[in-house]
Amino acid sequence: MKAFDYERPSTFEDACRILHAAGGSKKVLAGGTDLIVKTRHKVMAPEGVVSLKDVPGLSDISFDPEKGLFIGPMLRLSDVETADAVKTQYPALAAAVATIGSTQVRNRATIGGNICNAAPSADSPPILMAYGASVVIGDGKNEREVLLEDFFTGPGETVLRVGEIVKQIVVPAPPQNIFAIYIKAARSALDIALVGVALLAVFDPADRVVKDLKVALAAVAPTPVRSRQMERIVIGNKLDDTIIEKAVVESCTDACSITDIRTTEGYRDTLVETHTRQALEAARSWIEKGGVL
Amino acid sequence: MKHEITLKVNNDTYSLAIDPWRTLNDVLREDLNLTGTKLGCGSGDCGACTVIVDGRSISSCLTLAVEMDQKKIMTIEGLAPSGEELHPIQESFVEKGAIQCGFCTPGMELSAYNLLSQNPHPSEKEIRESLSGNLCRCTGYNKIVEAIAESADKMKPKKKKGRKK
Amino acid sequence: MKGNIIGKRIPRIDSVPKATGTAEYTVDLKLPGMIYGKILRSPLPHARIKSLDVSAAEALPGVCAVITAADVPMGKFSFFQWLADKTIFSSDKVRYVGDEVAAVAAIDADTAEKAIELIQVDYDPLPAVFETEEAMTADAPLIHDQESNIGFKVERHFGDPDNAFESCDFVVEGCYKTDRVAHCCLEVSNCVASWTPEGRLSIWTNAQAPHTQRQEVARILEIPLQDVRIINSHMGGGFGSKLVMDMKLPIAAVLSKKTGRPVKIQNTRAEEFSTAKTRYGYTMYVKTGAKKDGTLQARTVRVIADNGAYHDKGPATLNFSSMMFATLYNIPNIHYEGMVVYTNKQMSTAFRGFGNPQLTFACEVQLDELAEKIGMDPVEIRRINANTPGQKLQCGAVVPTCGLRECIEVAAQNIAWKEKYNRKDKLRGVGVANMVHTAAGGRYYGYNATDSFIKVADDGTVSIVTPGLEMGQGVHTVVAMIVAEELGLDMKSVKVLSNDTDLTPYDLGSWGSRATFVVGNAALATAREARVVIIETAAKMLDTKPEFIDLENGMAVARGPGMPEKSVSMGKLAAYAINNMKAPISVKGQWADDIPEDWDIKTEFVKNVRSFAFATQTCEVEIDKDTGEVKVLKFVAAHETGTTMNEMLAEGQIEGAVMQGIGFTLMESMTLDNGRVVNDGFLDYKLPTFGEQPEIDVQLIETGDPHGPYGAKGIGEAGLVPTAAALANAIYNASGIRVTELPITREFMLNALREK
Repeated sequence: MKAFDYERPSTFEDACRILHAAGGSKKVLAGGTDLIVKTRHKVMAPEGVVSLKDVPGLSDISFDPEKGLFIGPMLRLSDVETADAVKTQYPALAAAVATIGSTQVRNRATIGGNICNAAPSADSPPILMAYGASVVIGDGKNEREVLLEDFFTGPGETVLRVGEIVKQIVVPAPPQNIFAIYIKAARSALDIALVGVALLAVFDPADRVVKDLKVALAAVAPTPVRSRQMERIVIGNKLDDTIIEKAVVESCTDACSITDIRTTEGYRDTLVETHTRQALEAARSWIEKGGVL
Repeated sequence: MKHEITLKVNNDTYSLAIDPWRTLNDVLREDLNLTGTKLGCGSGDCGACTVIVDGRSISSCLTLAVEMDQKKIMTIEGLAPSGEELHPIQESFVEKGAIQCGFCTPGMELSAYNLLSQNPHPSEKEIRESLSGNLCRCTGYNKIVEAIAESADKMKPKKKKGRKK
Repeated sequence: MKGNIIGKRIPRIDSVPKATGTAEYTVDLKLPGMIYGKILRSPLPHARIKSLDVSAAEALPGVCAVITAADVPMGKFSFFQWLADKTIFSSDKVRYVGDEVAAVAAIDADTAEKAIELIQVDYDPLPAVFETEEAMTADAPLIHDQESNIGFKVERHFGDPDNAFESCDFVVEGCYKTDRVAHCCLEVSNCVASWTPEGRLSIWTNAQAPHTQRQEVARILEIPLQDVRIINSHMGGGFGSKLVMDMKLPIAAVLSKKTGRPVKIQNTRAEEFSTAKTRYGYTMYVKTGAKKDGTLQARTVRVIADNGAYHDKGPATLNFSSMMFATLYNIPNIHYEGMVVYTNKQMSTAFRGFGNPQLTFACEVQLDELAEKIGMDPVEIRRINANTPGQKLQCGAVVPTCGLRECIEVAAQNIAWKEKYNRKDKLRGVGVANMVHTAAGGRYYGYNATDSFIKVADDGTVSIVTPGLEMGQGVHTVVAMIVAEELGLDMKSVKVLSNDTDLTPYDLGSWGSRATFVVGNAALATAREARVVIIETAAKMLDTKPEFIDLENGMAVARGPGMPEKSVSMGKLAAYAINNMKAPISVKGQWADDIPEDWDIKTEFVKNVRSFAFATQTCEVEIDKDTGEVKVLKFVAAHETGTTMNEMLAEGQIEGAVMQGIGFTLMESMTLDNGRVVNDGFLDYKLPTFGEQPEIDVQLIETGDPHGPYGAKGIGEAGLVPTAAALANAIYNASGIRVTELPITREFMLNALREK
């Protein structure tokens, strides 16, 4: 493997300062599962890595029924998956995280890494987007909060400026009467998504009308994308056959799938339709049963 | 620049000076001669390099050794310390025919250890899901699933034998 | 057969070292002073080398040696030397992405990698060709200095197929294709080479055939055979990938010679995917004819095998598939035409089944098409055409034992064929396929024999020196079981010594399902020889006649009319032989296949196989109408074992092979971009994982065999031979979609479902 330097600052400010001074030639080291593979395969050649391991507080997780969920970016995926608050309040996030890589990878990789690598196929961003999550970004002096759906700018690219680090992931408290699901299409248990469909529906239990809907897709565009055209069709309606069919027809409108070594554009679009329909059917069934399985 | 680190591997403590780009897998195999930990792919896709760090399974090929400073690591050599009898997981792998070429075996066993330490009575489905990151090209997996289920039974806490008079 | 040992579910003798991580593989080996080699490989599929500059690499601190074509013997080599077409390094042109161009040795792997990047090569790209049938056209670029890219041809013929087709009631024709797939041994290909001060070369490597690889190394390096020694360690998988010498062996040897230090060369996983050899991809034009009662009358095939850039096992693979083609059913009129065609891709080689899984896929799928035309049940057409014990086939082969009918019965019954076939609900269906395979390797070397030695130590340990090559399949355990059975010992008292060509008798290696048969037979002969000597010794020691002695529980026991029972331990017997008889107990035994002297492979090609094993597999699948995913719900694998030596190991061989068959059928494929393998890791080259493996009901059918040890047949490869056809037939039953090309991807299935 190509040589690189290693620094392990003990404060957030120091980490930002080192990254800033390096002008982009140094990379943040979180779990390292992605960074090591990319460096070994010469996709990436950092001059140095900055470990956030010793920066205090970055692995914390807390939940407030009003303010929502606060996740430190260095929290391991397996800890996100098994955290009580996530399991009970955001079960679709737990389910999505459980589909990432292997047990060994989830024991090492972090939620911040899964987000900041900005892989179009990453599994946690779409469901976090559906939950309306944002990230708090710091540069050691100032902080800004960015909605996750505005965070990604391209494959491997985000709004993060040199010297900035994601400090926290904030997920709003889930409203009453919601249904959320993440469906991943993959070729095997150990695979990155061919496509991913995340859906969150807020409904009125009295008349069963969908009051709000967020659908986000993985692996069908340079970044995770909202399927807004489809959302518009559903919002304000009951999920019946006609609406579901109309929605499915529009499920790829906001996508721009490509053909790569894993599959073709056409098959990706088909999978989006298939899994969007499954997600909507699951939502309908949930709503019809009054919010129980 | 080399970094001074201390690794606690299988109850032995090692002080090392290492280059920061070296992986835990490389240091275990090359510097500590603990070659029971295998390298199958180098990208976290096969599980042959699995070790236990702070009680959890990780891919040693995807972990920088420098990040393991002061960590407690268990490799296959530590599952049943030498001179002692086999760990129930190892025993079941042997008895159930879960081993052929054996190259995936240390990683399989440590992944099983990770599962059973969190879920002492896994279902067949849970075993298959939890070990999906461990590839085997020889056995067809089913005998490994049987072995893990059997070792779970063996590891059930036994009732204390009261002395009968 | 159930003996004290034979037939029992006995754990492998190497399983404790493997379970504890103490088993040493070649990749774990580190010798004093060892340095690390790395090979510079061609980045282009077809190009002339204009210039090569290694000076920057040589100047890099830590680099010990850089070698190119100028530093090595440049005689051409191939497994079949009469087809020699490859040199250690390419000097004039490269023929695939991965062709060896130069190599370095350095003090560590990182430095070696850096040095490789500093070698400057100027290439002049040439047009490349990747598809066999394109490579066969008149204007295709020529890969070697030959008239065409067809590298080898074989024809087999008997009867009169053309006329026979005329008189058939039903005839079907079709083209079938299988992809090249990778062995994916978990241990990558690697070796360590070192020279003694006297000039003798030792190579530690994971070789399936160390004795023939020893000859290959001597041949390519142009050094005397006695100067080469091959040493095996435990081996992390073989499956055919490690039969023929890899070029890293002579390269490591030359680097070691040049530096005076041991040199290790080890593939990365990506290197393994793009340069280790693959299964031969077959394109098959098959035609089958039958009478309306379903009896098969004629079958012809044209096989076009994808050779890759150089020759390897192509002729043997084609020959072998021709034999299985002719013997699966007793068809009176056969024509087989096969050829290997050069393409600008990595080489192909043997892979579990040796061409037979490819051709069985085509033939057994076509048999279902034929059955449908006739209006017969797929199980029924297989039943009426199945060979029977003692049958002499029209092609000349004799099958003294044959359990195919039993296999069909149990496989159909255990999948609940009658209830499930043609049920047409929920895209679920069942499929069936038969197969025949060698149970005893092949005779094409003109030699199919081996020896072993046994010695009895005065501590009671019995050691057998055997060439049986353990690659994970369990041959060492089988050999130990045979010795323990014959000598009345427990498994712990038997030691197996192997894995060094200086130690072991000559043998052809582990391939062709031959190890239990050939090496096992030799072990049995040796153990029986030892038994005679031990009993004679015991008779002297116990002062009785040999016929009153039996061997049991590690003792020689004398029982006779009117005499008190007396016994003595194996250790004391050995000590008595040493001290009192001045004749330590050590014996040699041999098994030799009685290959007819006038045998001509061309006219009597079916006699290449000493013994046949038949099998039937059935399976049930369900297809997801929305994604095209084929879920394999269950497999029944009914296999003829002759005699089951060790049920647990036999099941393991078949379960693992079925899994490889599922991968071959549904997911595995090399994806190329201008000749470069782009899915060169386990993330994108899909292997079956825990989740994809269905329940496998293994049924072992004991029919005996007149030549195998205790009547055993080899079963190492059979498990994946019919798997693809059974799956494809089940997919047809579930969906009405006839699949003729592998792998059957989800996308293909979904599109096919939508078109219907």
